[in-house]
Amino acid sequence: MGGIGMVYSTLIAAALLLASAALAQPLQFNRDIRPIFSDRCVACHGPDAVNKGIRLRLDREDSAKADLGGGRRAIVPGKPEDSVVLQRLRTPNKALRMPPSHTGVVVSAAEIAALEQWIRDGAVWQKHWSFISPEKAAVPDGQNAIDFFVRQRLSKQGLTPSAPADRRTLIRRASLDLTGLPPAPEEVEAFVNDRSPKPYEMVLDRLLASPSYAERMAIRWLDASRYADTNGYQTDADRIMWRWRDWVIDALNRNMPFDRFAVEQIAGDLLPNATLSQQVATGFSRNHRGNSEGGIVPEEYLMEYAADRVETMSTVFLGLTVGCARCHNHKYDPITQKEYYQLFSYFNNIGEPGRYLKYGNSPPMVQAPTADQESKLRELRRSLKTAQEAFHTMEGSIAAAQTTWERTVSADAVWMSAEKLESELLPAPVAFDGKKIFEAGDHAQYGFQDRFSLAFRMKSASGNGVILHRMNSDESNPAGYGLHLENGKLQIQLAVRRLDDAILLETKKALAKDRWYHLAVTYDGSRYASGVKVYVDGEAWDLDVQLDALNQDFRRPGMLVFGGGGGWDNSFQGEIAAFRSYSRALGAADAAMLSTADSLGQVVRVPVAKRTPIQRQYLRQAFFELGADASVKLARARVAASAAGLEAFEQIIPTVMVMQERAQRPDTFLAIRGAYDKPGEAVQRMVPTALHALPAGASADRLGLAQWLVDRRNPLTARVAVNRFWQMAFGTGLVKTAEDFGSQGDWPSHPELLDWLAVDFMDNGWDMKRLWKTMLMSDTYRQSSTVTSELRERDPENRLLARGPRFRLPAEMVRDQALRVAGLLVEKQGGASVKPYQPAGLWSENGGGDYKPGTGEALYRRSIYTFWRRTSPPPFMATFDSALRESCTVREGRTNTPLQALHLMNDVQFLEAARALAQRSILEAGPDPASRLERAFQLVLARGPRANEAASMRSMLAYAQDRYGSQPKDAAALLSHGDSPRDTSIDPVEHAAWTTVASMILNLDAVVTKE
Amino acid sequence: MQSRRNFMSLAAAQSLLAADNSLPHFAPKAKRVIYLFMYGGPSQIELFDHKPRLAELHGTELPPSIRQGQRLTAMTATQTKFPLAKSIYSFARHGQSGAWVGELLPHTAKVVDKLCFIRSMHTEQINHDPGITFLQTGFQLAGRPSIGSWLSYGLGSENKDLPAYVVMASAGSKIGDQPLADRVWGSGFLPSSYQGVKFRSASDPVLHLSNPAGIDRDMRRHFLDGLAEANRDQQAVTGDPEVASRIAQYEMAYRMQVSVPELTDLSKEPAHVVDRYGPDARKPGTFAFHCLLARRMAERGVRFVQLFHRGWDQHRTLPTALPTQCAATDQPAAALVQDLAERGMLEDTLVVWGGEFGRTVYCQGPLTATEYGRDHHPRCFTMWLAGGGIRPGITHGSTDEFSYNITEDPVHVHDLHATILHCLGIDHTRLTFKFQGRHYRLTDVHGNVVRKILS
Repeated sequence: MGGIGMVYSTLIAAALLLASAALAQPLQFNRDIRPIFSDRCVACHGPDAVNKGIRLRLDREDSAKADLGGGRRAIVPGKPEDSVVLQRLRTPNKALRMPPSHTGVVVSAAEIAALEQWIRDGAVWQKHWSFISPEKAAVPDGQNAIDFFVRQRLSKQGLTPSAPADRRTLIRRASLDLTGLPPAPEEVEAFVNDRSPKPYEMVLDRLLASPSYAERMAIRWLDASRYADTNGYQTDADRIMWRWRDWVIDALNRNMPFDRFAVEQIAGDLLPNATLSQQVATGFSRNHRGNSEGGIVPEEYLMEYAADRVETMSTVFLGLTVGCARCHNHKYDPITQKEYYQLFSYFNNIGEPGRYLKYGNSPPMVQAPTADQESKLRELRRSLKTAQEAFHTMEGSIAAAQTTWERTVSADAVWMSAEKLESELLPAPVAFDGKKIFEAGDHAQYGFQDRFSLAFRMKSASGNGVILHRMNSDESNPAGYGLHLENGKLQIQLAVRRLDDAILLETKKALAKDRWYHLAVTYDGSRYASGVKVYVDGEAWDLDVQLDALNQDFRRPGMLVFGGGGGWDNSFQGEIAAFRSYSRALGAADAAMLSTADSLGQVVRVPVAKRTPIQRQYLRQAFFELGADASVKLARARVAASAAGLEAFEQIIPTVMVMQERAQRPDTFLAIRGAYDKPGEAVQRMVPTALHALPAGASADRLGLAQWLVDRRNPLTARVAVNRFWQMAFGTGLVKTAEDFGSQGDWPSHPELLDWLAVDFMDNGWDMKRLWKTMLMSDTYRQSSTVTSELRERDPENRLLARGPRFRLPAEMVRDQALRVAGLLVEKQGGASVKPYQPAGLWSENGGGDYKPGTGEALYRRSIYTFWRRTSPPPFMATFDSALRESCTVREGRTNTPLQALHLMNDVQFLEAARALAQRSILEAGPDPASRLERAFQLVLARGPRANEAASMRSMLAYAQDRYGSQPKDAAALLSHGDSPRDTSIDPVEHAAWTTVASMILNLDAVVTKE
Repeated sequence: MQSRRNFMSLAAAQSLLAADNSLPHFAPKAKRVIYLFMYGGPSQIELFDHKPRLAELHGTELPPSIRQGQRLTAMTATQTKFPLAKSIYSFARHGQSGAWVGELLPHTAKVVDKLCFIRSMHTEQINHDPGITFLQTGFQLAGRPSIGSWLSYGLGSENKDLPAYVVMASAGSKIGDQPLADRVWGSGFLPSSYQGVKFRSASDPVLHLSNPAGIDRDMRRHFLDGLAEANRDQQAVTGDPEVASRIAQYEMAYRMQVSVPELTDLSKEPAHVVDRYGPDARKPGTFAFHCLLARRMAERGVRFVQLFHRGWDQHRTLPTALPTQCAATDQPAAALVQDLAERGMLEDTLVVWGGEFGRTVYCQGPLTATEYGRDHHPRCFTMWLAGGGIRPGITHGSTDEFSYNITEDPVHVHDLHATILHCLGIDHTRLTFKFQGRHYRLTDVHGNVVRKILS
């Protein structure tokens, strides 16, 4: 809610604190000087200077100290008075003064003084800190490294750590941090009363081993990976990526080392003998939005997709904003535009369409069965094999029986395969004169996901005109399918809108006039032009694709029409006969059989040795359908049923979009000013030169890049990862700008600590659970979060860590916690996303279909499984500052608004949770109100109520008991929210009154806060 | 309840900028904005940009010298002919200013002396989603803050009981043609508290505004009193000022439970006032209803009110579709301007009318006496502005005789943004937020205030 009620703890004090700390020590270039240059000067005097005709660069020591002509130097070490940089900052001459006034940038007097001091001290330059490999500073024996570094800093500030948090606060804090759920009262009591030597460590081990751990950790990775269940642009229809989401949960639960976690997601498909799981992992780079809007230029979006992958990869692993180098050399960090496109070229060769499919996934994708589906598949394949083998054993007798049967076929017998035959029309040729049409009725109605075939004979007198169609001619924009001749070429149209939502094809060769042809047109339901085949007299003909952009269903009511109409203006002249439609995509052999002009009786009489393969196949099929005995038919039926069962099951197996590498790699060009249609020089795959080189033997593909990302020499990946984990536990990263470790990013609050953690992480096999345990075992984490007014003044943001973390829970935790304490949470892991309660109309008002809330357990799953529609995100999540999944987001937002209050008070999910929490408290604590209150608080906060809290609750209870006692209807109304049943043995007035108390508890600041 | 002031100091501290960032940067002419977004791309050729020569050129090919190889949407890229299509609607000059307005907008025609037409708007975007995203955020891809978010971030709220940025979208059958996304009024990388709050035509204009069945206002008051008491105890124990802020947010929620229904209740609005907004003005969810609400919000200090009306995408069947669009929007928009003027509010309220691009002079699909259509056209389109800070009764910029290319005073989307901010007392180059190491602006690195249209 704009401006109003926005709360942000002011940072000024923190900034001053950090700054004063700086001045107390000798100035350090990276900490004290580089930020000034970077933020105020380097946009012009930096990597992009060359494009502006500027010689001086302040991001490079050689340039900053070089002779600029006439012996003038920007920086003369030890001689501030000779340093031009100071002269230009201080000159009263406005025309000369830096920064130029039109930029609006100002360098403060204090900053200029710091620069002067630094120059006087010798102007010692440092490489940007995050580009220097981290090293472990020494930590005294027996000391926890985190506490050592934090206390070192605190003592310099004259501060002392806070006392440890009490065990109740601590177990709630750790449970929320490691599992996203509050502890159960029994777990709390066990911990509080545990007199063993290492009770806290045992709690951590238990939490780290809990399956809930992965759900808690995965959701932040989903934010970073911009995971969603829809495509994100105009219509924003569904996609299916949840198999990737489940891969993440599974990998985290198995504690996959972070380096492998990275390699599989960036390049799992390129690993030797890549497993399905490793292919699924690469969905990471396909979570970006995909545009299916009519009229987009595909090349433009192909570029956006690859750019999004580069941006996400570099933010998540490198903490660098390389996207800035898309249009020009990076203005702050040493990444040239050419280097950007070198990175880009790792990600732009997967053979995807520029215009994504509107509904569902767009290639490349793989079928990714779940474990259950896998076993079902194995079973179906086994039964198909069994059926085929059983059939195979009959081959000998089949051949004999066919020979016998053939003798019984009369010379005038006629037959065509009837498998999945849907309609047969025009048995005798019908003549069309260019005026008359034949409305055949409601036949051959198919849609964009159906497999079907149309076969017929035809003789055209003009080489032009409509053969047949099933177009909805009521609309001014005809939609449906149709076949049309133009200059002898057969045109096939499967269209919702001919302009931009259709498959349009034409045969390369023309049909001759005045001769009979057999035509078969087949479609495999793929929604791609490649799924359409044309057979002319049994021979496949090549097609020109005029448009391959079918997005929506072309199925229309109406009828099948021959000879004219359908939106074309020329009608058919000639004859059409023997029309058949099949609800399957006929194969080449089928088409050939249909085309054979011979009747069954004639084919049978061809001597066996002279029969063509098609004729042999034709007769065998005819025998099966006409002459075989019951046992053969049964065996065939079993094969067919097994095959159909397998095929039907394969249809429901979820797919997931993945990365694949095309064999042929077209050149990648630098795009001038980032524009897709302005290619510059060709570039080769390579990593930025300011960072370490590719590992020896690394391949020139994503696998090589992935190995480079997790190379021990990479100064960034471990730091960036460790910092994000720190941010999750402490609320703010050691580097506050978790997304930017470049020159414009913040200086770490505890550089040695960050480096120690990063090195320790790598030294211990990139073990994520171990890292979590290291952080949570520290006294720093275990401090009480209560704060004195003096400390709050000095360090409002708690960057110095003189107290424990205290901040509002992330969105998903607020909801998951309520479900858990109410006993409603369904802890099933994985599966398709679910739709919990949502006010009606939110989707349809935006113009995008209806939201149909799920029922039963779908309402009570953890929020990580909530269906994420990009253009209408789940309102609760959006209101509580969740990342919006449009693009990579690694920093957590935290606001405090009235809309959040309305949600927590009035949203059915929370009213139902309050009702269920009240019910639990009543049933589990018995009749005594104090015990009930105690129980409710224990469930939610791991502690009992304080006296003042209890007084507020009692007052609410008494008021509500009184009101509902006199207005039982209101009690019934309050108890009616939510689908879950209530225990009707509880008196409704009592239940309703306690529901208001439970609601109040769920709204407490302490409850939505990690303390 | 704190605030933007604190937030600004945060931003300032973050960047350690010593520049004077106090806002507004200079005396504003407008205190608030009502932005009528006509989503889909209204045709400038039928509505505002009168091109009489098209009558004689009707049906002839667009000269290649005019098209200049411009990129086309994939919808007409395969079209082999580009026949010029005249407007089948007549034009006349109106008011003292003599502004040209097409016959489909008779009510707008009556207030032209209060409007400033910009006929020379242009954009780079040729498709709806990137087009609206560009107009709303200054960038074609998702992720940047919308205009309203920038304004609430920069200027804060003018009231205590309502959001600073409110969004309303007309209901109706055409809404599926241009689906909207919440991010269009999103806050991008700004804190989510600056995002637009959508007022819905449902019984709860704001999500979860009403107390649930079983809890009345008295009980809610009692509930909030108890909650505040318990929370104050929490604050005493923890020392965290964030708790006080939470208490304040709950109180604002409570006030909104009254202020929002009062706002949307038109029963005290005089009949003659409602009537002037047209026959739909009493129907919740209509553009007319929303225009009236927009005025009421402006009165109550909502900083940025944005209306979305969809269905302006006349690729085909323009002669049947465009009159419907105009009928739904013409009278309410004109009434809004007139109503604001009569209340003396137009002086400090900026009203903006327009879509995300214009439409082509050449026909898309069949061109007959009664049927034609137009594709998206980014190279010129018309918008109008009125009120706070804008010179009334002028027409700015011009296009060639095909309404294809701008011939005079081009106004880019970034220029429009710079101008809107200027009217509110903001130097668009100085309203920044540091994200990913960059000081982002609504106008990116572009934008010039269109001084010729300032009052």
